[in-house]
Amino acid sequence: MTAQGPRRQVVVWRHDQVRVQHDVPGLGDLREDTKHGRLLGESYLRAQLGLSLMCLTLALLVAASYPVLAALVPAVRRASVAGVPVTLIVLGFAFYPVLLGIGWFYNRQARQLEARFTELVAPPDRSPGRSSDRSPGRSLDRSLDRPPDA
Amino acid sequence: MPDAAVGAIAFVTLLTIMMGARGIRVARTTDDFMVAARQVPPALNAAAISGEYLSAASFLGIAGLVVAQGLGGLWYSVGYTAGYLVLLLLVAAPLRRFGAYTIPDFAAGRLGSAGLRQAATVLVLVIGWFYLLPQMKGAGITLQWVLGTPYWVGVVTLGVVVSCNIAMGGMKGITIVQCFQYWLKLCAIGIPALVLLFAAGHSRALAPDHSPEFTSATTVSLPQATDFTLRRPAAVTVSGLLDQRQYRGQRVVLCACRHSAGAGTRISFGTGAPVPVSLAMAPSSVSSWDSPFLTSGTNGAHPVAATYGVIIATFFGAIGLPHILVRFYTNPDGEAARRTTLIVVALLSAFYLFPAILAMLARLYAPALYLSSDSDDVVLALPSLLLPGLPGSILAALVAAGAFAAFLSTSSGLLVSVAGALSHDLLHGGVAAFRWCAVLAGAVGVAVALLIERFSLALLVGWAFAIAASSFCPLMVLGIWWRRLTRLGAAAGLVVGGGCCLTAILSTMLGAAGGGWGAVLLGQPAIWTVPLAFTVMVVVSLFTQRTVPGNVGQVMMRMHLPEALSRQAYRVP
Repeated sequence: MTAQGPRRQVVVWRHDQVRVQHDVPGLGDLREDTKHGRLLGESYLRAQLGLSLMCLTLALLVAASYPVLAALVPAVRRASVAGVPVTLIVLGFAFYPVLLGIGWFYNRQARQLEARFTELVAPPDRSPGRSSDRSPGRSLDRSLDRPPDA
Repeated sequence: MPDAAVGAIAFVTLLTIMMGARGIRVARTTDDFMVAARQVPPALNAAAISGEYLSAASFLGIAGLVVAQGLGGLWYSVGYTAGYLVLLLLVAAPLRRFGAYTIPDFAAGRLGSAGLRQAATVLVLVIGWFYLLPQMKGAGITLQWVLGTPYWVGVVTLGVVVSCNIAMGGMKGITIVQCFQYWLKLCAIGIPALVLLFAAGHSRALAPDHSPEFTSATTVSLPQATDFTLRRPAAVTVSGLLDQRQYRGQRVVLCACRHSAGAGTRISFGTGAPVPVSLAMAPSSVSSWDSPFLTSGTNGAHPVAATYGVIIATFFGAIGLPHILVRFYTNPDGEAARRTTLIVVALLSAFYLFPAILAMLARLYAPALYLSSDSDDVVLALPSLLLPGLPGSILAALVAAGAFAAFLSTSSGLLVSVAGALSHDLLHGGVAAFRWCAVLAGAVGVAVALLIERFSLALLVGWAFAIAASSFCPLMVLGIWWRRLTRLGAAAGLVVGGGCCLTAILSTMLGAAGGGWGAVLLGQPAIWTVPLAFTVMVVVSLFTQRTVPGNVGQVMMRMHLPEALSRQAYRVP
């Protein structure tokens, strides 16, 4: 390795590659319902649905496991901590922080998904002037910054 | 003691009417009436939603059920709270972004079908009225307990107050009223629970009593005919009908066996006598009060399956409650709808700590309360039983006021949505039609409520949840997340799911359920009607793919994209 010195890397900076990097589908695709726009929307929807279903599964697992546990292991329903039955602790108090925690986590993640998607399709620094040199179908429309009826 | 409670109830009612009356000046257009012009901040809105949601079942019903049937009754409070988490996860933000007033509006707007709107409207009426009944019953037994008036007086009073209030004020007034009523309810159940817990002596462990005894000489009055058993023989004094014999204050030794008492019988037990167990609450109260399973409405058959039935109904039912969804349109945007819902989960969690504490105290220190087969007045009766004298009276007045606040707020919300569905979707009328529909809907509620006195509050509300979970829940969830839903699929799911669930519940109410699996499947039908409704909707939709609405892609994106983005993308004003 040392004898040959550091390996040289050739970076090809082709014009179309540069374009591809910036050429993510944007709001125009969503509006005009192009193939890219539809794919983009569907992937966003799937991400939101996945998050919701993950949190829902977690909540259902936590809740649904207690009756099964109590039915299979009778000791659980007769147990008590400092004189208070475990069932009272679980059903009366312990579930609520879990539910709140799942809800808090979901809100944070859902907000982040929205922010990331907004950044993807309508980055704040992408000005209408810069996007005008690309094909009109997939560029950010200039008219966005104007009132809709203008 | 009744004076303080009467004063407190009158105060709450008057305050509600006055705050509602303020709404008259503010409410000008149909939009104001229906959703308070969408200008409500999250914290206020969350308290209003909770105030509307915490009904007679939460305030009186859960504690009553737990006292009578065991800790499994707490599944209702867990489920009522988790229902909001499920609502947050699946529908809160998209529904707000969709921007419609009611579930029928959503159904018609998403799937473009007038027929579906009519079907959904009918279901709103069914669920709304079903949910209204326990509120009316709660008012009936509260006034019965406070004033000694007949059951119908409380029912009619609540009906008149709420109908007139809604007809005059609309929802703008109601938002403020509902918010106030959440905090009133929290105080009215929290303060008595904590004071009584402290008074009962916090050093004594809250152990369940497997063989309860009377700790002091107690006279038990049985308002209805009741069958009960004793685990040990006991010497008692009886007036009234017992075991087909009429007594007039004679001393009798009752054997350790089954007895049946007529309505109005009074039995005096001495100190150390065993507490009789009412057969109406058997079997769970006999042996395992601390069992985590539910047996209400199923005659005690297959408790684990019945418990899952309640879990499914309550977890998925909140999505389909018509009076709750309309509240989400009062949020300014989808993000605010999410924040509001999370605050609601927190507010509900705080509230539901206290029915459990009260039920525990009642079970430990007031065994006479769970003899009567109607245990829904436990929360009302407990303060004056545990704390004699003035402090007990004050707490009892507070509880009565909170209970009345619960009936007022929930039935207000229900009447707004029932009257809204009648006037907006069936009659296509304006504000005047809305006022008349409010009065009409209240009158129908009162009439039916007079017939359902014998059903437990928690059970009745649980059934309303089951119907909502097997009809509107699939419609909302699939409508929001599945673009291939068609109007025929949705209609078929609503009719089959809601119809099966309603039929099962009505057959249980009419006593046709019997025992065994039949009792479970008819008494807690959500366990099969919810999956059935989802399946029917999906299968029928897949067979009718030609009728998928053309604008579905855009509608889906508008529901799920943040407002700023969809405004840019679709130029929605």
